[in-house]
Amino acid sequence: MKSAVTTVVSAADAAGRFPSMSDFESVKGSFDRAKARLEAAEKLASCIDKFTNLAVDAVYQNGSYEQANKDKCVRDIHHYLRLINYCLVTGGTGPLDEWGISGMREIIRIQLLPTAAYIEAFIFIRDEIKINDVMSQQAETEFKGLLDYLINALA
Amino acid sequence: MLDAFSRTVVSADAKGASLGSEDLADLRKYVADANKRIDATLAITQNVSCIAADAVAGIVCENTGLTQPGGHCYPTRRMAACLRDGEIILRYVSYALLAGDASVLEDRCLNGLKETYLALGVPTSNAIRAVEIMKIATVAIMTETNTGRKMFKGINSGSGAQCQDIASEAASYFDLVIEALS
Repeated sequence: MKSAVTTVVSAADAAGRFPSMSDFESVKGSFDRAKARLEAAEKLASCIDKFTNLAVDAVYQNGSYEQANKDKCVRDIHHYLRLINYCLVTGGTGPLDEWGISGMREIIRIQLLPTAAYIEAFIFIRDEIKINDVMSQQAETEFKGLLDYLINALA
Repeated sequence: MLDAFSRTVVSADAKGASLGSEDLADLRKYVADANKRIDATLAITQNVSCIAADAVAGIVCENTGLTQPGGHCYPTRRMAACLRDGEIILRYVSYALLAGDASVLEDRCLNGLKETYLALGVPTSNAIRAVEIMKIATVAIMTETNTGRKMFKGINSGSGAQCQDIASEAASYFDLVIEALS
């Protein structure tokens, strides 16, 4: 799974060399950011239900989507936020790529799901919820970066 | 391939749970020990040929028949293959140590290694002995308990004596190699 360390190790292994000084520096760089990442993951885990409900309520408020699907939407948003929690822990986009994004287009096309609802929900979390209240500035930046990544993948 | 972080994530995903504060305690320790870990890996990478050559010299000294005609380290071509394999094992141990997880070592080095050695007629008992010597040498260099000079220069402040925990982790990776060959 792609993360800060495995990327470096894969590259070194492909070349058959020992980890070099620049590899160590890149690993070290990711560890320096790890504190903010782990904080964001921790805070997100504790607020995951709150964020999900706020976002889904906001999306369903204006009545453009069928209320019957609301529970499924809650489940999916919760699922994606959990994958973002994993990405924050690994320091790479591996969990989202492998478990959330790959194959997603096919599923959405077959089931005729309105991706716009997901996008609206994640944009709501990114822009409307005061994430700053629960986590530090740096942690928020890490979290929002992954939200952006997911929104772009869904769009 | 997994590292300490993705290993935690994979086991959390099996339960479908998010990772909260108590799950992250081990990872925080991993991050806090990053400097020591990098130094411990440097202890290997800066002494690869020394560790591998020592181990091969060791098995030859303990069993002088190896370099005689008919021995498994005769002629030099086979001795060279032996040194090369020692370095390859050290390389994968260094990857595993940096990643904090044995999956890279198991998937890319140990999987099928014993079968390969059996097919090529490499005596696994000697190979195991060489790995044991490499383990002892690596731990001694990492913890700076080797006799004589300090063998590696870390980029960070961590001195060898602080690498004790990580040295035992490294020893556990060598044990996996021994286990795979046994």
